[in-house]
Amino acid sequence: MTGVLLRARQVTRRFGAFTAVDDVSMQVQPGEVVGLLGANGAGKTTLIRMLLGLLAVTSGSVELLGGVPDREHRRRLGYVPQGLGLYGDLTAAENLLFSARAYDSAVPALPPALAGRADVLVRELPLGAQRQVAFLAALAHSPEVLVLDEPTSGVDALARAALWDTIRGQAEHGAGVLVTTHYMQEAQQCDRLLLMSNGKLVAQGSEADIIGSTTAVAVRTGDWAQAFAALNAAGAPVMLAGRAIRVANADPGELHEVLTAAGIQATLQPVPATIEERMLVLAREASAS
Amino acid sequence: MIVKEFRELVRDRRTLGLLVMMPLLLLVIFGYAANFYVSSLKTAVVGPQASQVAAQLPPFFNVTVTQPSGTKADAETLLQDNKVDVAFVSGQTPVLALVNGSNLFAAQSAVAALNKAGNKVQTQVLYNPDLKTSWVMVPAIIGLILTFIGTIITSIGMVREREAGTLEQLAVMPIKPSQVILGKIAPYFLVAAVDMVIVTVLGIVLFGVPFNGNPFAFALGAAIFLFVTLGLGVFISTVSQTAGQAIQTAFFFLLPQILLSGMIFPLEAMAAGVRWIGYLLPLTYFTMISQGIMLRGAPITSLWLPFVVLTVMALVVFTGATLRFRRDLAPGRPASPAHKQPAAAESVSTA
Amino acid sequence: MTYSVRSATVRFGHVLALDDVTVEVPGGSVVAVVGGDGAGKSTLLRALAGEVALESGTIEAPPKERLGYLPASSGSWAALTVTQNIDFVAGIYGLAGEELAARRAELLDRASLTPAAGRLAAQLSGGMRRKLGFIMAIVHRPELLILDEPSTGIDPVSRIDLWRLASEAAASGAAVLMSTTYLDEAERAAHLVVLDGGKILVQGSYDQVRAGFAGVVTQGAAPVRPEWAWRRGRVRHEYWPGAAPPPGTTAVPPDLEDIVIALSLARRNAVPS
Repeated sequence: MTGVLLRARQVTRRFGAFTAVDDVSMQVQPGEVVGLLGANGAGKTTLIRMLLGLLAVTSGSVELLGGVPDREHRRRLGYVPQGLGLYGDLTAAENLLFSARAYDSAVPALPPALAGRADVLVRELPLGAQRQVAFLAALAHSPEVLVLDEPTSGVDALARAALWDTIRGQAEHGAGVLVTTHYMQEAQQCDRLLLMSNGKLVAQGSEADIIGSTTAVAVRTGDWAQAFAALNAAGAPVMLAGRAIRVANADPGELHEVLTAAGIQATLQPVPATIEERMLVLAREASAS
Repeated sequence: MIVKEFRELVRDRRTLGLLVMMPLLLLVIFGYAANFYVSSLKTAVVGPQASQVAAQLPPFFNVTVTQPSGTKADAETLLQDNKVDVAFVSGQTPVLALVNGSNLFAAQSAVAALNKAGNKVQTQVLYNPDLKTSWVMVPAIIGLILTFIGTIITSIGMVREREAGTLEQLAVMPIKPSQVILGKIAPYFLVAAVDMVIVTVLGIVLFGVPFNGNPFAFALGAAIFLFVTLGLGVFISTVSQTAGQAIQTAFFFLLPQILLSGMIFPLEAMAAGVRWIGYLLPLTYFTMISQGIMLRGAPITSLWLPFVVLTVMALVVFTGATLRFRRDLAPGRPASPAHKQPAAAESVSTA
Repeated sequence: MTYSVRSATVRFGHVLALDDVTVEVPGGSVVAVVGGDGAGKSTLLRALAGEVALESGTIEAPPKERLGYLPASSGSWAALTVTQNIDFVAGIYGLAGEELAARRAELLDRASLTPAAGRLAAQLSGGMRRKLGFIMAIVHRPELLILDEPSTGIDPVSRIDLWRLASEAAASGAAVLMSTTYLDEAERAAHLVVLDGGKILVQGSYDQVRAGFAGVVTQGAAPVRPEWAWRRGRVRHEYWPGAAPPPGTTAVPPDLEDIVIALSLARRNAVPS
């Protein structure tokens, strides 16, 4: 089935005087993995809830699988919320059974790694295993569109890789996936990105589109701790990457002055900025206004 | 959906226990304990020819005290100390029968029996002359309110820390477990005390319930009783993981006290097999104190038994609760493995 | 002053949560502990904080007055405001009056929480709540600071703030032990510890860990041995512990994520003894 799976057209949502989502338009096509980025409070969860039909829009329209997001259309949707939506006091097998019956699908088999723990209560399972069970439950009815809210938060590298395997596998089979994440590394695994800030969609597209015109300067020095302190004290948007210091949207000349005044020797080099730096700059702009 | 709910129910042992045990408990209680009819009354006979008078009394009046040299004042003291339900004063015609109005059902049975004797006996009901139910209930309800606040609300208050995950932080700070407990129950102590004063005043004003005794003794009894119920609240919180569980457990402690403490059904009328439960309940003893002081103006010495029992209960419960609480707060055997909260949900975390 | 956990073993019933683990946390530096769920990170931190008893081994830690702890849960009291939270904790540690007010103002400023000072903790966003928990843990300038997954589930900008706060604490002399699932944070630490199933897979500075890593990591579209491969972006990486990889495969310099995953796979695929 081709056609747009999820669509928002100039969607706005207000809660009293507060605008949570402001004139956002986006879509998710079959076979693509779209990453939704943004600070907490940026409006990501509110947007998702409107796309799923759990929350009404104040203005604009949403489409789920070409129609209104009602129960019929949600049958073809797989959703894993941040809280996983599993019953802690049921076993893994029982959870899968329940969800299969609810969607009228076949019961998914547990992978070999979990099969031995099928009768363990979900709340006794480690987080990575819980997430796997939640995934299985959401995928059992072969949904055409998947919405995942921070699917890998708190999970270790190996389990994260395994979960992304599943996600990409679904996309390869033609499903469309909308993912929110705070791991910038995962943002790089998406086909397309959407960046929200303060309810607005400030950028979309590839990683380069998201980074936009943000610049960065890398500061390499022996006393990284002192350099960090000096730049921080001067109010520069400083970040650490590895052991190198990076400053976003900065003028190398000004930085050099600050460092020299603090008696620190360092080399400054303009480098390509990262998504995090864009978000840091956005956050500063928001708090300054 | 049905299958899932059944599965969850089976695993939720506390709810299951409540659903199964509660009907059984109610059946047993109503079967054996619910009895408004008192079968025999503790009686005293005071005055000249006491033994002869005693011998003439029907077996309904179980004579436990005879004082040939006693006077009417002695008879009143016996009643005030709640040693007997009825005291006959001989040596005049008609014989004077003083009835202890603070034991409502006993008094009602006594009056009914004495009325059959016609004008051989002059009946006088002390402490609750009109045999009003409210006069007997209000002192008991004061105790019930203290139990309610103490047990249910304290247990929720403590469990809140556990649910919010902040218990761990308290454990690592230089604050002693006893300080945490005291800090946590102090507000409830105050609230309960204020509540008690309001209910007592309202009882007196609205229902005309007397307050014949020493208010300081009453306050002391209430304070000790509060400690028992607050201690129970703390204890319940140490065995509960969620507020829901805490409320269920507290309810389990509360219901027997309502039914078996003598508040509704008189203790003397219960079958012996069930009556002993009543003697284990703190509310039973506080009701003795509150009824004694408010209705009979009883001196604290005559109430030594409930005071001592409550003090012992307070010590036992508090020690047990503090020890369990210390286990949660301080290192020792780890109480449970550290398990991660599923999904780093922002402001709400579940244990 | 170096604090430590030495040869620590912790058991919960039948589960061996920590198995002969030794970790040192020197003053003035940040030690990061990484590992999957169930690896023992929280247990290690709680052992050092004195929350969990050891079956064997020793702990060197300061008394409670000189220790700061941020648990994996929220870390603050939801029904209190930001200011009330700080005041409560500061009071327990003996701060009062002007000293307390000054310290509170300083900490709120460093965490950029001053505009939210009067807000209830429950109304803060996740990142702000975590920052509040952090400053509550350092209000008394502890010598040892223990942070249990401070940045999990938190937005990237708040994560940067939290790392900055932790670095500042270390820079002022505190010994900082933190657990994290973000490997880029671990890379920045002076010393990192990789835990798996209660055992230490490897520890050292990032350079030491990289230098000590044996084996080769290759990159390709399809794995040769699936049980030794994992997805990385659009391609797959594969780990060759001992034998040299077959010709036709492209070796890549391993980063921390590669190393951690490779070591976990080595442990998982090892023949049980």
